[in-house]
Amino acid sequence: MKVSTRSTFKVSATGEHRTGFCENCQTQTVKEFYMDGERRRIRMVCPVCGGMGKLIAKTFSVQPPDPPQCLSFRCLFRFFMDTLFCALLSNYHKRRVAYAEKNRHKVILERYRTGEPSPKTIWQAIYDNTKLTCPICRKYN
Amino acid sequence: MAQTQTWTDTGIQELILLLEEAAATGMESIVCLEMATPCTAAVASTFANPADTAIHHTDSGLLLAAIDTVGHATVNTTGDTITFDHVFTATGTKNVAGIHTCNNDDDVTFIECCFNAVLAVENTDTITIDGQSTIDQA
Repeated sequence: MKVSTRSTFKVSATGEHRTGFCENCQTQTVKEFYMDGERRRIRMVCPVCGGMGKLIAKTFSVQPPDPPQCLSFRCLFRFFMDTLFCALLSNYHKRRVAYAEKNRHKVILERYRTGEPSPKTIWQAIYDNTKLTCPICRKYN
Repeated sequence: MAQTQTWTDTGIQELILLLEEAAATGMESIVCLEMATPCTAAVASTFANPADTAIHHTDSGLLLAAIDTVGHATVNTTGDTITFDHVFTATGTKNVAGIHTCNNDDDVTFIECCFNAVLAVENTDTITIDGQSTIDQA
């Protein structure tokens, strides 16, 4: 499938899916505006203890690789490797979010809910993808 | 498919109209996409029309609403980034495949984002959207 994006209008967005009740005291969370540096932001917090709802899954914004800057073998090879990494990373986060959503009521590793740590290299991405497909391996860190 | 996000063609058109000081409005609304399977964001999106109620949520707390906070930030040059945050609180069991941000008239989609996978929300669940878009000259 062809994915078309704009190179000069970069967009990044994440969705954090949580339950509506505090994971500490089970009170329903409410909206709270807060300042993150100069940025005015919003979150759902518990009015009693300041906790948050139980995290079910957090999506991850994968950015497409930058186009090659030259036609030399080195530039093209680098672009090929970046593209390969992007595909593996996308595949990992797609499967991770689906796995976390499917197991919302079960205990799974926190890394599959938060997406952190995210693979940083091709080999890490291959390893994490393989681990996620194995029903036994994905239970252990 | 990967999570994909992009400005749509209609969003660019609206932006140009804003620069031209013609009839146009800024980013003010957000809506969740209702699909059972993951979608793919595209510049010429076939489901970017906010009035298309077959694809956009119209109830259960996931419908078109004013964005909670819209601001600006700096990534490369001063004020080159628009930021937006919003919290949806579901009032029923629904599927959320992604989001659209729209203008004040709710007739143009600026940004389309399709999540990594479909989020299956239940009653009282919340989805916190953290978005930003940089006009990149770097």
